Amino acid sequence: MEDLKLTLKQQIIESLNLQGMTPADIDDNAPLFGEGLGLDSIDSLELMVLLERNYGIKIEDAREGRKVLQSVQSMAEYIQENRKI
Amino acid sequence: MKPVYISSAAALSPQHSFDNEELLPDIVSTDTGKLYVIDTDYSKFINPVAIRRMSRILKIGISTGMRAVQLSNHPINGIITGTGRGSMRDMELFLGDMIKLNEEALNPTYFIQSTYNSVNGWLAMQTKCTGYNQTYVHRGHSLEMALLDAQMLLNETEEPQTYLVGGLDEMTEDYFLVKSKKGYWKKDIPNSLQLLKHNDTPGSIGGEGAAFFTLTNQAENAMCKLAAINIIQNPTEDIIKAAIDKTLADNNINIKDVDVVLCGLSGDNRFDHLYKSVFDNMTAHTTIAAFKHLVGEYDTSTGFAMWLATELFKHQQIPEVIIQKKGIHPDIKNILIVNHYILNSASIILLQL
Repeated sequence: MEDLKLTLKQQIIESLNLQGMTPADIDDNAPLFGEGLGLDSIDSLELMVLLERNYGIKIEDAREGRKVLQSVQSMAEYIQENRKI
Repeated sequence: MKPVYISSAAALSPQHSFDNEELLPDIVSTDTGKLYVIDTDYSKFINPVAIRRMSRILKIGISTGMRAVQLSNHPINGIITGTGRGSMRDMELFLGDMIKLNEEALNPTYFIQSTYNSVNGWLAMQTKCTGYNQTYVHRGHSLEMALLDAQMLLNETEEPQTYLVGGLDEMTEDYFLVKSKKGYWKKDIPNSLQLLKHNDTPGSIGGEGAAFFTLTNQAENAMCKLAAINIIQNPTEDIIKAAIDKTLADNNINIKDVDVVLCGLSGDNRFDHLYKSVFDNMTAHTTIAAFKHLVGEYDTSTGFAMWLATELFKHQQIPEVIIQKKGIHPDIKNILIVNHYILNSASIILLQL
């Protein structure tokens, strides 16, 4: 799980071009949107693409997506249970 | 049409044109056949959260536009841009992903920002300008169409109004490669500063840039007057000569009143003959100058020429590096820009102090 979270943080930084950030700067449980990383709606689309490309996960229900994309922790747990790649 | 006034100008180009007190210091040249914009600190002009997902041309366009707004004394009523190619890099990445990923799981950012009006949209959000917002995509006429639109809008109202108007284009490796197959670029590449001497072969060198202006119907504190814009389709030497004569006559000036002509000479033997009438008809009074050996060939290069003209008015001197034929005019009050773009477009613009 720890390895997965580290990889996921690296993928988020690369995918969203979070310049000057390292995985250590992202708290596992901090909200990705709003107060935490301060991501926006376009970022949420980019994260959906990240999940599909790297883990074969397609989230089609917006409410489910909102829960999954709460934090790195919630994303990693969902990936572990649902990954196809 | 009534003239309009330029109240501010900003340009990012392959030369040191951005925020320099000096006129064209430390001239940049290349042997690669490609002249790229010199980057500035874009974070000074763009929201830090948004900048991370922007491509280079967005940063270049938005920063140049924001600088022109900062330099103007007038609030803006609308934003009008011209671009021949838009955000090429985002479009190439998006199309590349479509092929690579079989049209699935495509990044939204490339798609959203590859649209031609991205720069306009960002400028509107950053300046909070909810007025008229238009992007012209007409190859070599793109900026000229934007200028003409602004001139018409300003002519239609008696209210004091100001529009942010600009042109932008970027060069990518793929664009350069594709257009090299169409004969756009010289096969034997000269140093860029020698480009105009190699005018016996086809092709030019590639370039890019952005230039923005605030155009207003208020004469007070203006940098200069934009007296006329003429757009010419399928130009010939005779058509160019007739258009110059008409432009000058319409503005009640004589050919001997033209202090400087900025020509779009590109070293391409298929097009440089268009400027023959300029060399043949201008008198000893007029300095004939060129600019494409400094910025390369691109759809909206007229923007750099217009920015350069505002600088010539301001400094009242002409850098040796652009002079093709030196004139004897005591000062600089009337500047004519005669430019063309590959294939079939040309334009004539008259700027007056």
